[in-house]
Amino acid sequence: MLTLDNARPGARLRIVSVDGRGWVQRLYQMGLLPGSVVEVVANYGVGPVVLRVMGVEVAIGRGIARRIYVEEVKEG
Amino acid sequence: MKEITVAVAGQPNVGKSTFFNLLTKNRVLVANWPGVTVEKHEGFLEHRGYRIKLVDLPGVYGLSALTLEERISRSYILGGEADVIIALVDTTIPERTLYLPIQILEMFRNVVVAYTKYDMAHEMGIHINFDALEKRLGVPVVPVSAATGYGIEYLLDKVVEVAEKGGRRDYLRIDYGELEPFIESVERELAECEGLREYPSRWLAIRLLEGDEELSELLSEKCGGDVYRSFEEVRAEARKAVGRDISEFASAKRFSFIMSLAREAIVRARIPETKRARSLFYHPVIGMALSLTLLLSIFMLVFTVNTGFPLNTVLSLLGQEELARAVEEYSLSGLLEKGLGWLMDLARSSIANPLLASFVADGVIGGVASILAFLPLILIVMFVLSLVEDAGLLPRMAVGVSALTTKIGLSGNALFPITISLGCNVPGIMGARASLTAGERIRQILTLPLVPCQARLVVLLALATALRTLGGWLMVFTGYVAAFSAFVVLNYALYRLSRTREPTPEMLLEIPAYHKPLGKVVWWMTWNNVKHFLEKAGTIIFSSSVVVWALSSFTPTLTYTDDPSNSIAAEVSRLLAPAVYPFHVTGENAWMVVFGLLMGFVAKEVFVSSILTITGAPNMAEAVSVIGLTDAQLIAIGVFTTLYVPCLATLSTIYSETRSAKLTALSILLLMGTAYLISALVYYLLTLIP
Repeated sequence: MLTLDNARPGARLRIVSVDGRGWVQRLYQMGLLPGSVVEVVANYGVGPVVLRVMGVEVAIGRGIARRIYVEEVKEG
Repeated sequence: MKEITVAVAGQPNVGKSTFFNLLTKNRVLVANWPGVTVEKHEGFLEHRGYRIKLVDLPGVYGLSALTLEERISRSYILGGEADVIIALVDTTIPERTLYLPIQILEMFRNVVVAYTKYDMAHEMGIHINFDALEKRLGVPVVPVSAATGYGIEYLLDKVVEVAEKGGRRDYLRIDYGELEPFIESVERELAECEGLREYPSRWLAIRLLEGDEELSELLSEKCGGDVYRSFEEVRAEARKAVGRDISEFASAKRFSFIMSLAREAIVRARIPETKRARSLFYHPVIGMALSLTLLLSIFMLVFTVNTGFPLNTVLSLLGQEELARAVEEYSLSGLLEKGLGWLMDLARSSIANPLLASFVADGVIGGVASILAFLPLILIVMFVLSLVEDAGLLPRMAVGVSALTTKIGLSGNALFPITISLGCNVPGIMGARASLTAGERIRQILTLPLVPCQARLVVLLALATALRTLGGWLMVFTGYVAAFSAFVVLNYALYRLSRTREPTPEMLLEIPAYHKPLGKVVWWMTWNNVKHFLEKAGTIIFSSSVVVWALSSFTPTLTYTDDPSNSIAAEVSRLLAPAVYPFHVTGENAWMVVFGLLMGFVAKEVFVSSILTITGAPNMAEAVSVIGLTDAQLIAIGVFTTLYVPCLATLSTIYSETRSAKLTALSILLLMGTAYLISALVYYLLTLIP
C-alpha cells in the first residue's frame, strides 16, 4: 500500500491507517488520523514531507511518514 | 473587589501569547507550575467590578497527558482553581484548533470560546456563524482580534457573565458511537469507587478506555486491583468492538463532531488556494542553503552589534584600523565594559576600608557586572530570534536544515534550542523539552553546552587581542569551528551508541503562515528567554561571584589579602597546575591559567577578569606575557575555555531539567573530555605551523 513518504507532491490523499506509538497521539491531535484528507505540499525524497491538513502545513519526518498509509482521493 | 480566576488555553500558534499579552498589558507574574520547571504566567486586569486573575496555560494540542505541558494543563483544569476558562480557536484554522476547546468542554463547564485573528477571516474568505456555534457548544462564542482589539470588551463581559451565572449545566457530550455501551459500563464501575469522585465520570471513562497511562495508574491505586482488572476486560472488549486503536477511534469521533459543526457554521467564500507557491525552504538543497545563509547573516549582524566582531576584523584587514577600533569601542560590549570599569574605580577610590572597598568593587559590582554585561548581548540575540520565529521563518528553517541534523541524530526541531543557545545556554537547554523522544532530549541537554554563548564569544575576543603573530580572527574562528565540530561529533557518537534502542529522530512540526511580526509578541518572546538567563544566571552568578571574591581575597589562614596570589584560590590552582600541562604550559606561572579556569566555572567571562587580576596586568597581552604563553597555547586555551565544563548556571539547569545527578556528572565528564581532546588537538596542529 502507498505510504506517505512515497506520495507525489500535489497529491490529495486519504489516510488509511497509522502504525506506531507515542507520537501517534500527537498526529491525531493535529488532525492526522485515518479518514482525514491531506494534500502533499512538498516531498523531495529526502528530508521531511510537508502536508496540508485542515488548512495548516505540517512537516513530518520520513520515519513517521513511512508509517502512515494513504490512498489517492479520486477527484470529482 | 471580588476576584475571579480565568485560565487561557489554546493550541500552539493560535495567538495565545498575543492575546494574553494584550489582556494583561504585559504586566505578568512568572512562577513555576508546582513541582516542575515549566513556567506559569499570571496577570491581572479589572472588568465590571471584578479583579480578574488571568492564568496562561501551556500551549498544547490536546489533553492526553502526552507531554509535561499537557499534564499540567489537564490537572489545572481538573483542579477546579479556575472560575472560567477562555478556550482559543484560530479563526483561520477553525477546525483543527477547535479540538482543544472540545476536549476542555468535555471536562469543564464554565468555558468561553474565543475565535482569535478575526481580522484575518474576511480576507481569507472564512465566514463563521457564531450564533450557531454558541447553540451547539452551549457556551458563549466570541470573535476577537488582538491586532485591532476587536471583541475584547465583549469577551470580558461574557467571562464575567459565565463566572456569575455558570456556563453549561452539564459537560459536552460527543457521540462516541460503538464505544458508548463501554463508556457506560466503565462509568458504572467508577460510581462504585470513592477515590475518583472528583473527576467528571464520563470524561474519565473515555480517557481510561483510550489508554491514558496516568489515569490508569490512578485507577488501580484508588480503586484497587479488582476494579482495575475488570476495567481491563471491558477495555479489551471495547477494542474488539471498534476494531481499531480506541484512542484513534475516539479522536476521529471528536473530529467528526467538529466537522459537523463546521458544516453548519463555517462557510468558505473561496476554496483555499490549491496552487499556492511551494515554499523554497522545503527543497532539500535550496532550503538548506537558504536556511544556513539566513542563520549566518543573522548572527553576523548580531555579533557585530554586540561585540564589533567580525566587522572590526574585516575593516582592519582592509586597512581601516581606525574605523575597526571605533566599531569595537562603540559595540554594546565595549560601551558596557567602560561604564562598569568606571563604577568599580569609583567604589575603590571612595571607600576607605580596603576590605570593604574590595568587597564592593570586586565582589558586588563585579558580580552584578558579569550579569549586566551580558544582558543586552543576550537580549539582542533573543530579540532577533523571536522576530524570525514570530514571522514564521524559524519553523521553515527547521525544515530546511532537518536533512542535515538527522544525520547526527537530531530532528529539525533542534534548531530552536541550538540557536537560542548561541545567546545563552540556559534557555537553550530548557528548550530541549520540545524533542519528540526522551533519548533525543537527553542528547540535546548533554551537547547544547558546547554551543558557544555570548559569554564565550567575549572571552575569545579578549584572548584574541593578545595574539602576537597570528591574526585575532583565528582565535574566534578556531573557537567556533572547534565548538561546533565537537557538537556534531559528540551528537553523532551519542546517537550511534544509543542506536539499538533509538529510531531515527523524527520531526513533527506545525508550520504557521507567514505574518508580519507584532512588536508586542516579539518583545514578549524575547523577554521570556532573557528572563531565564536573569533568574538562573542572575542568582547563581551573583552569589558565586561573592564566594569567588572571598576565595581570592583570603589566605588559607583566613586573613584578608589584597594580593590574590596568596589567596586560597591561588593555593588550589597551584595544586591543580598540571591541568594545563597537555598544552605544554609548564612555567612557574602556569597555575594562573588554572586560576582563571577555576573562576571561569562560575561564569565563563570571569576567566578574563580573573586572569587580569592574578597577573596584575592592565591588559590581556601583558597578562599573557607574564604567564608566558605562545600563540598556539593561547588559542588552545581559548578553545578549552569555550568547551570545558559549562558555567554553574548551565549545570544547575541541566540538573533541574534532568533531575539526575548521574546525567549532570556525565555531562561534566563528557565536556571535560571533549575539551581536552579538542584543544590538545588544536594545540598540536598549530605547533606544526612554523
